[in-house]
Amino acid sequence: MTISKKLMTVLLALTLAAGLALSACQGSGDSDSSAAGAASAGDQTATGAVGNGDLGLVTPGKLTIGSDCDYPPFISMQAGKPTGFEEEMMQYVAADLGLELNYLPPQNFDTLIPSVNGGGKMDLAVSSLTINDERKESVNFAMPYFDSNQACVTLKGSGYTTADQLDGKVVGAQAGTTGADWVKENLPNATLKIFNQTSEGMAALVAKQVEALFIDEPVAKAMVADTFTDCRVTEVIITGEKYGIAVSKNNPALESAVNDSLKKLVDDGTYAKLFKKYFNYEPSITPESIKN
Amino acid sequence: MDSQGHRTDRHFLGGKLLLLLALALVCWIFFPAQSQALSTESVTAKPNDASTTKVIGGEETRITWNGIVGDKEEVSSITLVFPQGTMFSDSSYVQVQEGIRDDPEHVRPSTPKSTMTLATEQLRLDFAVPIHSKSQLRIQIYGVSLPAKSDDYYVVGSYVDGKGVTHALAEQEKPIKAIVPTLTDNLVAYFDGLDWVKSWNSVKFLNIFLNPGWAVASVSTLFPGWLVSLLLVLLGFPLAIPIGLGISFLRMSKFSIIRGLSGVYVNVIRGTPLFLQIYLAFLGLPLLGVNITPYLLSIIVLALNSSAYLAEIFRAGIQSINKGQFEAASSLGMNGFQTMFSVIIPQTIRRVIPTMTSEFILLYKDTSLLSAVGVMEQMMFAKNLAASTGILTPYVVAGCFYLVITLPMTRVITVFEKRLAASEGRSVPPEEKKKKKRVGLFNTVDPGAMSAAKPDGSMSAAATASSAPGVDVASPDALTPPDALTLTPSQGMPPDKNNKKRGRREKT
Repeated sequence: MTISKKLMTVLLALTLAAGLALSACQGSGDSDSSAAGAASAGDQTATGAVGNGDLGLVTPGKLTIGSDCDYPPFISMQAGKPTGFEEEMMQYVAADLGLELNYLPPQNFDTLIPSVNGGGKMDLAVSSLTINDERKESVNFAMPYFDSNQACVTLKGSGYTTADQLDGKVVGAQAGTTGADWVKENLPNATLKIFNQTSEGMAALVAKQVEALFIDEPVAKAMVADTFTDCRVTEVIITGEKYGIAVSKNNPALESAVNDSLKKLVDDGTYAKLFKKYFNYEPSITPESIKN
Repeated sequence: MDSQGHRTDRHFLGGKLLLLLALALVCWIFFPAQSQALSTESVTAKPNDASTTKVIGGEETRITWNGIVGDKEEVSSITLVFPQGTMFSDSSYVQVQEGIRDDPEHVRPSTPKSTMTLATEQLRLDFAVPIHSKSQLRIQIYGVSLPAKSDDYYVVGSYVDGKGVTHALAEQEKPIKAIVPTLTDNLVAYFDGLDWVKSWNSVKFLNIFLNPGWAVASVSTLFPGWLVSLLLVLLGFPLAIPIGLGISFLRMSKFSIIRGLSGVYVNVIRGTPLFLQIYLAFLGLPLLGVNITPYLLSIIVLALNSSAYLAEIFRAGIQSINKGQFEAASSLGMNGFQTMFSVIIPQTIRRVIPTMTSEFILLYKDTSLLSAVGVMEQMMFAKNLAASTGILTPYVVAGCFYLVITLPMTRVITVFEKRLAASEGRSVPPEEKKKKKRVGLFNTVDPGAMSAAKPDGSMSAAATASSAPGVDVASPDALTPPDALTLTPSQGMPPDKNNKKRGRREKT
């Protein structure tokens, strides 16, 4: 009886200690983000703030972004914070607009377009969204910020050499992606399994629940190189997709403001610098290419 | 040569085409060894039916033509010839993209300038700057309708190379398989054309959640998934019953080790989310070399999960049986096994049926979690449908599919319950009849309470245990737990924590 009481006390103490430690961690994380906020506020005065009363933001003074945060190197959660090419790009845009960048917690990819369309939750969806006609029915896109293709990822040693060989097999893609659309159109006999997150799809590939996964090329290459080293990119499928930032159709002011910022980003060379940091080839979007 | 002759037969589509093919044949004959300057990689059409998986004729779609320019070759013009009967809409437009391969690792996208001529069943593009060597050329034609009949369709045509020579374009390997619109497709088209539907859909909420066209499309598309969900739970739940019963016996074992182990099983399974268990089974087991087909694995996971909940339900049910029943059975000379299966279990079943029904309903709804690991149940179909458009109506329809099972289920069980109580009334002495009927009444109220209590499993067990004895025979014995405990040591663990403490104190 007394022993179990002691045990209980010890356990309780441990739980409390763990809780305190956790909250302490959170505290330091908060101070981090406030520092980032201060930095962006500093930038704002440097670049000259744009009046943002007319941008129709979800939270005034903040640029609220929705993303699935599971798409390295574009965006992924590192130490609890969204990090990557898109995050740095949006830091620039937010600073340029004199706003604080505010990422929502990771969203399911297939809810992004409905959320922007529905309004009230996020100002922009920045999540490697390919600009296409179906999506344009619900939302508007700012200017393209990345050229991408699809990739077919399989397990090493599975013997596949082309994506076409997977027609009739069980394949995977992320919900609502152009990869899923590509499979439906190009592999009509394949069974398509839909995953909420790319990393779930990759885990399913490793667990042999699917024979192949169809995701965007840069992400496929990053995932295969870093986390899922027993997988490989079997074929890059040239689809010539362009990523765009989704913005509500009811908010043309924000759309043109974001467009202006993105143009600045490309024109002042920041885009090229960012691109070089994350990718090992020449960017196709250059000050010349966006002139018209 | 033989195969080329065959192709000519298949595409006897009129003078123009014949001329082209004759020209092609001439080319093949005169330059047999020459590699193609432009080879057709694929021609596909975007699925445009209600389920977004098939191509239907007579409806607008997008055709994508993909080709690759040969090494040291160029292409200055291309003409695509579509199957006879192909129509372009007034809003038809064409997107041309070139993937320039000046780096072997990367393709640089560009949009070549071209003049376009759209004629009957034909598209001609003249490029201002010839398409480069090794480039990938993609032409997407929007607003095209294939002929309204089921057939395999090929796109042929011709191209002009850098030297100004015209060649025939090879048809693609895989045909576009078009089908005629199904009843569902026609219904969707009908609904989308109605005036009230248009104004209905202009309200954003209604358009996204209660879109009539999408609702019709969802019903037929989700149906196979609904059957899968139903099948999974109809196989998984009956499997969970014997497992759960077995575990409930272990939980009441004389041996503390067995009691402890089975307790760990029950508490770990009930104390962790089913989601995690599914992940472990589907993504973890294969890494340990255990490969089970997804459907079988689904059934096993569902059964094991449910068995832990059922074990607690059964244990509470068995322990709620008046100890007089055990005593009476042993006074008749029955052994433990006989007592359990011919006296106690039959009475238990009656008591636990409402709780079991709740458990069934919960398990049925939980099949939706399997979509996360790619099991083709109804949420997966809904996700598949909803994901590409951002219209969430398929999920609402999926919800209705769940209700189709769960609503009648609760009703049927209520009736079943009453009948059981009534039949029990006939078999027991008249003075007990009244009280037994009250069991039925109480139990019919139970399912709601049970399902509410489920997330915290211990509550549901406690609820059965505490309400049932009180209701049961209302004998003085049943109302004094310490007494009952000391008298039935063979039954093992008491139903709830308070009792456990009390039991221990008595032992020390």
